[in-house]
Amino acid sequence: MARVAVRNLTKKFGNVTAVNRLTLDVRDGEFVVLLGPSGCGKTTTLRCIAGLEAPDEGEIYIGDKLVNELPPKDRNIAMVFQSYALYPHMKVYDNIAFPLKMRKYPKSEIDRRVREVARLLKIEELLDRKPKQLSGGQQQRVALGRALVREPDVFLMDEPLSNLDAKLRVYMRAELKRLQRELKVTTIYVTHDQVEAMTMADRIAVMNNGVLQQYAEASEIYSRPSTVFVAGFIGSPPMNFIECTLVEEQGEAYLDAGAFRYKLSEEQAKLVREKASSSELLLGVRPEHITLHLKPVEEGIKGRVYVVEPLGAELIVNVKIGESILKVKTPVHGELKVDQEVWVSFNRDRVYIFDKRTEESII
Amino acid sequence: MLLLFVIYPFVYTVCGSFLKWKGRSIVGVAGVSNYQRVLGSSDILNVRRLLKLKGPPLGALVHNLLWILIQVPLSTALGLLLAVLLRDVKGGVVIKSVIFLGMVIPMVVGGILLRFIYDAHAGVVNAVIRLIGLGKYAKTWTAHPDTALYSLIVGSVWIWTGFSMVLYSAGLESIPKEIFEAARIDGASGFRIFWHITVPMLRPITIVVLTMSVLWALKVFDIVFVATRGGPGGASSVLALEMYFRAFYHMPPDYGAAMAIVTILTLMTLGFAVYVFRLVVK
Amino acid sequence: MSRKRVLIHVVAWSIALIWIIPYLGVFIASVRPYSEIVDGWWNLHPFTLTLDSYSAVWNHKTYPLKRAFVNSILIAIPATIIPILVASLAAYSFARFSFPVKDMLFLTIVALMSLPQQVVIIPVFFLMSDMGLINTRLGLILLHSSFGLPWIILFLRNFFMTLPVEVEEAARIDGASDFQVYFRIVMPMSLPALASIAALQFNWVWNDFFFALILLLSPDKYVVTQTIPMFIGRYLISWDKVAAASILDMSVPLVVFALLQKWYVKGVVGGVIKG
Repeated sequence: MARVAVRNLTKKFGNVTAVNRLTLDVRDGEFVVLLGPSGCGKTTTLRCIAGLEAPDEGEIYIGDKLVNELPPKDRNIAMVFQSYALYPHMKVYDNIAFPLKMRKYPKSEIDRRVREVARLLKIEELLDRKPKQLSGGQQQRVALGRALVREPDVFLMDEPLSNLDAKLRVYMRAELKRLQRELKVTTIYVTHDQVEAMTMADRIAVMNNGVLQQYAEASEIYSRPSTVFVAGFIGSPPMNFIECTLVEEQGEAYLDAGAFRYKLSEEQAKLVREKASSSELLLGVRPEHITLHLKPVEEGIKGRVYVVEPLGAELIVNVKIGESILKVKTPVHGELKVDQEVWVSFNRDRVYIFDKRTEESII
Repeated sequence: MLLLFVIYPFVYTVCGSFLKWKGRSIVGVAGVSNYQRVLGSSDILNVRRLLKLKGPPLGALVHNLLWILIQVPLSTALGLLLAVLLRDVKGGVVIKSVIFLGMVIPMVVGGILLRFIYDAHAGVVNAVIRLIGLGKYAKTWTAHPDTALYSLIVGSVWIWTGFSMVLYSAGLESIPKEIFEAARIDGASGFRIFWHITVPMLRPITIVVLTMSVLWALKVFDIVFVATRGGPGGASSVLALEMYFRAFYHMPPDYGAAMAIVTILTLMTLGFAVYVFRLVVK
Repeated sequence: MSRKRVLIHVVAWSIALIWIIPYLGVFIASVRPYSEIVDGWWNLHPFTLTLDSYSAVWNHKTYPLKRAFVNSILIAIPATIIPILVASLAAYSFARFSFPVKDMLFLTIVALMSLPQQVVIIPVFFLMSDMGLINTRLGLILLHSSFGLPWIILFLRNFFMTLPVEVEEAARIDGASDFQVYFRIVMPMSLPALASIAALQFNWVWNDFFFALILLLSPDKYVVTQTIPMFIGRYLISWDKVAAASILDMSVPLVVFALLQKWYVKGVVGGVIKG
């Protein structure tokens, strides 16, 4: 078990910068998820930590050891691949035993450990089969077993659940989390699925275009996104963004979005004046933080129902205000007809303001 | 190993074709005189008979070209038809295997089989000819100048069709079924599906088949050696055979001429390969 | 079945008949005495079954096929194993590692594939006589191995490219060295491809006539393909013996084909299509 430290990691492929000056600390026993869209550099980061790619710049420490020059086999890590990467010509038993054989463990020790891991993962009855004869979920367990058997310092997982069907994925999510808690192995887990990240991680590192956007606990990432990208990536449906400009009239500050104006409070106005690089701003508000009214209310913004998407207990109502569409999450409302006039109001404490140019959070 | 037994000899041959040889020793630079001697020889290029538009012997170079012109289109087209046809035939797999055998057996045996079926008495071709009442034409087809070359070429279709058929079969399997189904729903007839969908989609395969077939037709040796030895009177000779005679059969050997022949052969091969390559790139 | 389907079947099976008749003929000719087949093996009266032709060619005085078989096998087996061992390592580096001038080297190898045998044979003949390898099996083994290399490298490289890299990466993380990755993971995963190659290369060497014709000069070194034309007389061909010898000769590649049919065809298709 060990902590992992990544310092100023940069990796280029040709003239594409996959990872750009990434710095990341993972505590001993922590479960960290690297989250981001495909091509954001999360897998490359993981492969650099594994030693499958050589960094162009920066250092990687496992424990307190600089591992840049160490081949994968000497880093005492284990990795679970998206495709599982089981050895197709070996039985399950030999697949799990392979890392131990490579390290020349005595036969009896290998046997003991393989069986122990198989028991832990409930795959004892599969040991004599070949990978081809297993279901996706079973293969996934074998891949896990092969990683667990060595009792490594660090677990690296590259989208290990993405090839499972939805139901199994939810189940394995909990299983993995439980296992990690039990074994207390430092784990770095790559995924593009925000739900996976939110439910499993101690901390989430959100990446985009090779750059670390925010590194924090799940609740913090949700409630205090540091950039437009994080705000838009986390949450479903995603946050609404409305382009607007800061207008000052008679000592009051407003955000002018064209179709409507949003009045800022004293504090909000102060923060904006301090931090904004220009008057071009983005107003962000999550669908779940907008209230829908059928009658005019104070501070309500008038719009028309554009589309209604029922989700069972809740509705996503697309409200057209001027030229922009706002998604609103609301409990089922009696009758909502397309083109009907409605009014929306924002939950004042949950309104975000971003600098449009720097894309950084202001409030 | 590649360097010693493939690349070095290749370069050596090309250079050697411009040198003057006396037995195994190089006695000077020949310039293009080897080529003049080779192309001037009626074994390679029989200008007189060509101009009079007579039948073989026309020279090995011409024979190779005739081989390409006749055998390649025939076995390619036949292979494609068989691949399409045998898809819906019960026992098609067995038939395919039988047809493919030509690619499995030694070419030497292929040559023997051809000589055998064309034999005046023991040959099955003549039996069929007699059966349909044309008995007066029965003869050993490979032993007459008029027919030797053509009967070998037709025979090589029999041997090499398996190749194009197997490739086309594999190609057909790789075309998604949905495409044919979509075409049927769009109202295309069987023939139009074949012409507008199957053939264009198999274009990459066609290129491979044509390339390989042309290369083989240029290199053909074993069949001719065994069935006719290029005879009678050079009427079925080919470049590879002429090269063999000059370098390893006649005494004293004429290495300069032999090297010139294979260099011509290689030039044709490479020229064709480059042509196909540009076709593919396009 | 509709009329059209019946017609297709008739056509298909007639074509099959055309293709099988020469084989059938040569087989029947090989098991009957000369006197019965000289005017056509299809005349079945009288019909005498005999293996005399087989024993005649097998134990022939100057060109015994028995000895030729031994020679062919002693050449074909090493000339199959050696290039596969060499080529698989080369192909693996082409597929997985990048090194300078790799693409150039690779293109050269592809180009070499289309070289005719005739183009190298004169210098090779000189080389072999200087090295004292004329009329030896070793010379032919070396030559066939070299000639097999380009296409085997190409074929295996294409195959290796289809293998998931992740499996090899997993093995490296699990503690395997490059060497162990190759022999414990890549080789076992490549068995089907290796079977294709072995079948094709073996048959290619067995079926070769040209190289043997030029490099093996004395009858005691002759391989099978070389021996067959010896049974063809100048004017009179004893079809019974020629037929028996042909059957024996082609039986070996046919058995290889029958045993490894699936891989054989895959080899032919894969070898040229992807290239």
